[in-house]
Amino acid sequence: MKIKKILIANRGEIAVRIMKTARLMKVETVAIKTSFEPGAMYLSYADHIYDNTEEGTDIPVFLDIEKLILIAGRTGADAVHPGYGFLAENAYFAQKCIDNNIIFIGPSPDALYKMGNKTIARRIALRGCIPMALGSEGNISDEEEAIAVAEKIGYPVIIKAASGGGGRGMRIIRKAEEMERLFSIASKEAEKAFNDPSVFIEKYIENPKHIEFQILGDTHGNIIHLGERECSIQRKHQKLLEEAPSCALDDKLRHEMGRMAVKIAKAVNYYSAGTVEFLLDSDKKFYFMEMNTRIQVEHPVTELITGIDLIEQQIRIANGEKLKFRQEDIRLEGWAIECRINAEDVQSGFAPDPGKIESLSMPSDPFVRIDTGIQPGSAIVASFDSMIAKLIVKGKDRKEAIKNCKKALDKVWIKGTKTTLPFFRMLVRNLKFQDGTFTTAFIEKDLEKYYYNSEYEEMLAAWLATKLFIEENLKEDSINVDFENGKEMSPWLLNKRMNQF
Amino acid sequence: MGNDKIGINKLYALSSEKRKFSFSLPLKHKIRIGKRNYEVKLKADEKYGTYILWKNRKYPVEIIRSRQNKYEILFNDISYSFTVETPFSLQRMKVLSSVKGKIEKELVTAPMPGKIIDVLVREGSSVLRGEPVVILEAMKMQNEIQSPVNGIVTKVPAKANNNVMKGDVLAEIKVE
Repeated sequence: MKIKKILIANRGEIAVRIMKTARLMKVETVAIKTSFEPGAMYLSYADHIYDNTEEGTDIPVFLDIEKLILIAGRTGADAVHPGYGFLAENAYFAQKCIDNNIIFIGPSPDALYKMGNKTIARRIALRGCIPMALGSEGNISDEEEAIAVAEKIGYPVIIKAASGGGGRGMRIIRKAEEMERLFSIASKEAEKAFNDPSVFIEKYIENPKHIEFQILGDTHGNIIHLGERECSIQRKHQKLLEEAPSCALDDKLRHEMGRMAVKIAKAVNYYSAGTVEFLLDSDKKFYFMEMNTRIQVEHPVTELITGIDLIEQQIRIANGEKLKFRQEDIRLEGWAIECRINAEDVQSGFAPDPGKIESLSMPSDPFVRIDTGIQPGSAIVASFDSMIAKLIVKGKDRKEAIKNCKKALDKVWIKGTKTTLPFFRMLVRNLKFQDGTFTTAFIEKDLEKYYYNSEYEEMLAAWLATKLFIEENLKEDSINVDFENGKEMSPWLLNKRMNQF
Repeated sequence: MGNDKIGINKLYALSSEKRKFSFSLPLKHKIRIGKRNYEVKLKADEKYGTYILWKNRKYPVEIIRSRQNKYEILFNDISYSFTVETPFSLQRMKVLSSVKGKIEKELVTAPMPGKIIDVLVREGSSVLRGEPVVILEAMKMQNEIQSPVNGIVTKVPAKANNNVMKGDVLAEIKVE
């Protein structure tokens, strides 16, 4: 193994995830301690910790290219794993690593650049005859040009940021009158988010499914796919639940989409792990959307049905090794579902709910995998994302996976912030989710209520409110003590404790 | 309230959706479902914090807010608001609401700390339930803070580019 020590240029669950695999491979790791979360869980998984808490900057070190190169040098790391987010898809960072003789665990700077720019990616896909939604040739300079293109391809259309992703800089336009206003909003949003106001236009595919293919390529020209993931359960382009495989694909369609995914990866001589995203419409026609040039949040569902450790593959590929398997060796077995448990308030439109995690307990059933970077006492801080944990479950088929998911969701215990758990408890009981006919419009259009509570939960809450009222006002209800299992709690005491915060 | 307690044999918890739960006094640690009584226990331990034990299952609970007879309770990750009323106060409430009609003010507050990006209403604007009032940026996301009711905006303490704390009032709306 050429790679001896990896600097983890990330935090949270993905830092933990990478370090777990590195340890199995007997590769050392370096984690960076920041002033945002000096007691974070990921630090305990590292062989070495670089203390960066003295640096009182506003920008997290994980976005500071010069500083990361410096830390790699100081700690003797010969490779960097960027995880996802932060600098994971930054071509300049990858190049800087190479220039300093540090192995970047990811694709080439060239592939990062080409796939990072959505108009270049579109051109490459077009040249490769990859099915794609109709759209503008390149970037659109003003609303007049936008209207001209939209008339040609037909409304509705979607404006997207050339350097974009994650829903920002995107606007759907249904008629020409909306173009002027929305074009400038999209362009401004793109400039603010990505430092690049360029936008382009595509035909908007109504009610599609989001299907993406996991790609693995080595530096010897071998590229294969590991099947698909379905990520149609999303809200404002933020994925909430992912599964693998997808019930919308049969072997023939899987083969065809997989072939196209490999083809586009080959067009940029792709190596490392990557994801090719498609939209699939109700006629089972598919359209290339974009390629994500990193390990993805939802990678575990692919790992569970293929038995392949994607982080290990990334490290081996970066080490210059050849892929050990060919396309025909890949078998998809069983069904996996991932729920993103975020610190969000589903009753207030999924608003982030930062706070300190007071207690946390996760199910340990054999069909459950938990990826987390949070432990009791950890804070969900506003500077980073709101993820608490990923609950990943497996079953022999989709039905069993959903059943297992439902069971596991009732065993997850998190106190301190509101979470997306009530949303998932609702989802697994929804018929449209169960029968698999949902699309990306599901949450906005088909879900009437965003959370689930059993019939009696509100009554129990009412009972507690009444008990509190009695203790505060009537003082006649004596406090019973029960030492049998846990200590009996006086709500008055509870209330007093709360006020001390 | 203390003097009222003579003769009180019932309390009512009214939910924000106007559902009424009645409990007879002294409050039993049992809830009747159909023909059976199920025991309710409020407990706390180090591993789980505070919880309610019911039908062999633990449910996490927290008191988010309590003011006078108003309680906001987080039960199994879902928050509920109740006002607890005695038979007298319930009667008084009914009388008052029939006299005054429903002239109420609703406060739009910041659900999380963050920075105000845009204020979309001004004094006198009429808003519909669910209409965005303020855009608040927190955790790298822009969040639309929506009006909880139909009404007329009476005050707008929110200013663009200001930072706000959780719970800060962003707008006041007269319910229509």
